[in-house]
Amino acid sequence: MSSIASTCRLTARLANSHLQRQAARRGFRAAAVNNAAQNFTMPALSPTMTEGKIASWKVKEGDSFSAGDVLLEIETDKAQMDVEAQDDGVMFKIFEQDSANTVQVGKRIAVLAEPGDDLSSLEVPAEESSASGGQPARKDRPTPQVETAGGIDTTESSPSASEAPPSSKPNADAAAGGAADTTPATQEKGGKSAGRAQKQKYPLYPSVQHLLHEKGLSKEDADKIPATGPGGRLLKGDVLAYLGRIAKDYPAEQSKRLEKLGHLDLSNIQINVPKKVDTAKPAEAAKPAPPVDVEIALPISLTAVIATQKRVQDTLGINLPLSTFIARASELANEELPLSKNHKPTADDLFNSVLGLDKVGAKTSRGNYMPQIIGFPEAPVAARRAPARKADIIDLLSSKPAAPKKASRVLGAANAAAPHNVFSVTAPKGDERRAQTYLERMKLVLEAEPGRLVL
Amino acid sequence: MFKHLLPKATSRPLLRPASNTFRASPSTFYLVDRSQYRRGYATEAEEKDLVIIGGGVAGYVAAIKAGQAGLKVACIEKRGTLGGTCLNVGCIPSKSLLNNSHLYHQILHDTKNRGIDVEGVKLNLEQMMKAKDTSVAGLTKGVEFLFKKNNVEYIKGTGAFADEHTIAVNLIDGGETSVRGKNIIIATGSEATPFPGLNIDEKKVVTSTGAIAMTKVPKKMVVIGGGIIGLEMGSVWSRLGAEVTVVEFLGQIGGPGMDAEISKAIQKTLQKQGMKFKLNTKVMSGDDSGESVKIAVEAAKGGKEETLDADVVLVAIGRRPYTAGLGLENIGLETDNRGRLVIDQEYRTKLPHIRVIGDCTFGPMLAHKAEEEAVAAIEYITKNYGHVNYGAIPSVMYTHPEVAWVGQNEAELKEAGIKYKVGSFPFTANSRAKTNLDTEGMVKFLCDAETDRILGIHIMGPNAGEMIAEGTLALEYGASAEDVARTCHAHPTLAEAFKEAAMATYDKAVHY
Repeated sequence: MSSIASTCRLTARLANSHLQRQAARRGFRAAAVNNAAQNFTMPALSPTMTEGKIASWKVKEGDSFSAGDVLLEIETDKAQMDVEAQDDGVMFKIFEQDSANTVQVGKRIAVLAEPGDDLSSLEVPAEESSASGGQPARKDRPTPQVETAGGIDTTESSPSASEAPPSSKPNADAAAGGAADTTPATQEKGGKSAGRAQKQKYPLYPSVQHLLHEKGLSKEDADKIPATGPGGRLLKGDVLAYLGRIAKDYPAEQSKRLEKLGHLDLSNIQINVPKKVDTAKPAEAAKPAPPVDVEIALPISLTAVIATQKRVQDTLGINLPLSTFIARASELANEELPLSKNHKPTADDLFNSVLGLDKVGAKTSRGNYMPQIIGFPEAPVAARRAPARKADIIDLLSSKPAAPKKASRVLGAANAAAPHNVFSVTAPKGDERRAQTYLERMKLVLEAEPGRLVL
Repeated sequence: MFKHLLPKATSRPLLRPASNTFRASPSTFYLVDRSQYRRGYATEAEEKDLVIIGGGVAGYVAAIKAGQAGLKVACIEKRGTLGGTCLNVGCIPSKSLLNNSHLYHQILHDTKNRGIDVEGVKLNLEQMMKAKDTSVAGLTKGVEFLFKKNNVEYIKGTGAFADEHTIAVNLIDGGETSVRGKNIIIATGSEATPFPGLNIDEKKVVTSTGAIAMTKVPKKMVVIGGGIIGLEMGSVWSRLGAEVTVVEFLGQIGGPGMDAEISKAIQKTLQKQGMKFKLNTKVMSGDDSGESVKIAVEAAKGGKEETLDADVVLVAIGRRPYTAGLGLENIGLETDNRGRLVIDQEYRTKLPHIRVIGDCTFGPMLAHKAEEEAVAAIEYITKNYGHVNYGAIPSVMYTHPEVAWVGQNEAELKEAGIKYKVGSFPFTANSRAKTNLDTEGMVKFLCDAETDRILGIHIMGPNAGEMIAEGTLALEYGASAEDVARTCHAHPTLAEAFKEAAMATYDKAVHY
């Protein structure tokens, strides 16, 4: 993973000053894609690392691996670290075996092939180093000139030279389209390094200046440090990571996180009112009519009601139609029905639930059910029921809720004779419990004490 | 007006002059005829580059910015004065009251030990309100002047979408008109969320709007909601002599963004000033039928019930987007479950020429956030790129001492699993605060444990609202605590406490 970062730095450096090399690398890459193996060199895992020991290879020759797999473990004087594959590939040949002597950074330790390459026909490329990229042809590389710390080149002071080891190049570059594009490409792939070295146009931050001075680095060196700050500004954390005091990719990760906080969180938007109203409204309007709706029925005896009616008639001399009883019972039963499953919480409801106030108000609402009443077949005047039912259908088709009028029409003297009537309501799916509660209440009120309805 | 009716193609240079000197060449182009015909009818739709619905902070800033960018812009506002909630019934009038009530309170209680004897201090509430109204009137007139200066057409009326490009306006002075816009910005803002069961009459049961316009100091006041609005308005009336009780459902005051440590500290201070707090308490119901208002409360986790009696109840449980009557359904715009208009990162709705900014969409409901969005939205229209950093939007509570913060708080960092370090510096150790005899509060930095990058700054103290600007700038630039600490701050200032807190974060403070 550090090699990604160093590749970025490397390419940035290349882009800065060595255009020639870019061309060289492009040529190299083209070759690499064409069924060729790539050298895998000893990576520099920290800016100061010059050599390391291979603790163990995690892949054998001929093994294939995918990006992110640990290829080998490297031991330095400070720590033991995993080296991950930057890209899918196949281990072609290992040159430096486990627990071998210390290997200079940049020296070839293995050769990797592209996934699907025919290993038998593949030839091992010559060892090369990034510093020697003067010639386009891959195989015509001059003999390796291991570029390590203690750098002789004065323009590339030691940290930058060692931080941009050739090691990372082959694998990381494989999929990239051009040297200058390498950085974004690897960034996307690795998802790690948001920072790239660039010329610091603004005055350096005091903390950055301080650290550079402390380490004897010049302002020019600062331009080579990958910067993760807003607008490519170099932050204290970048220098700390560059110096190896904190994890290499931490500043980039942090920048990414803060960048995300800098945007409106528009994930998980729950579209509400207009859309739902739009779709729900026609659906609801249609709901009472089609027979897909659930019809819930309950036989309710009207004996008590009739008795009461008679009593009132006898004592007070007033003839109370049955419809009055039913209408009043219905009124009562409609109170505080449990909420329908289809009930859409309003913005207020949701806000209340955020505040925890949803337990305050009862979770009920007033229903507007009106029962349809059908006497049992043995009821005397069946003929009179038929027109009544026809009227029902018309009403239903005109999507009017069952009107009280109709109820009274159904209830004639005919029904009075029928001790048991089936009360039914149609309810949209999901409202069954609501309707059931309504009917049960009707039953209770009409059977238990209908007298209270009128007195 | 003709410009937009004519094809943009420059191959017919004759057309432009023709539209102006129409009579001379009547047959040039039929569009010219039509536009001439239109001239006679003021109510005919006229196409603008940009039409803004709402003249609040988001709307008026967008209008001015658009005017400056050379767009033909109209701004529709129904209040009759510009500036929206903020300027008319929010931030500005409340700050007037906060400042003046603080002065009054200080003269009553705090001048003696400073060596100033003041006799016969009396509150003239009517004059205090007048002072407030003068400030507000001056500022709203100022915005109106800026409209004229930047060629913004100001339409006083209520706008509603007739179609995707046309807005029908019901004018305040009677009559109707309509205006067409190539681009439209919705900036209709928010309204106070009512409390279910309480009837807001802005006399006995008030929102922030009523709380800044009371004609006498209530004896007892209950504030439902211990957020910023509740605490600010509670402070005002508490200073003027009301017995204020704040009922808050959560376990801390100041809302969820405020750092818990700061929240505790400010609560203690406000309690010392005479406010009472009932935290973890929910309001069960209210009865405003009698002379006074009765509020039944109960411990949030269930528990003993209690009835609070108040002359005035302030409902400050938050605000909700206001889009009623806008005709969103006419053009099929969507809102989310909290009524916020759905947008993308560039503030576009699903009709890309319609953008939404400010309180009626996502993000914190803050005037300065709306203002940022207004600038960005205009830049998106004119330059295709705009910038608002939502990670660096400060929040300020103008109690005394003030509380201000920017970035994340400790709870949020813990939740995100970030390792951070804390550095704080109390104002008791700051020389200027000492000389001011105003030493309550502290500055607190939260920085990344590894990189020292500032993640959040929380301040409670005198002038915290001004001081947070430095913190916001630091956050915007990705500064570390060391960067702030190595920046020179004048002596003796309160801002030194800011620097010292930064020092305490990455190293050690000098004076503490």
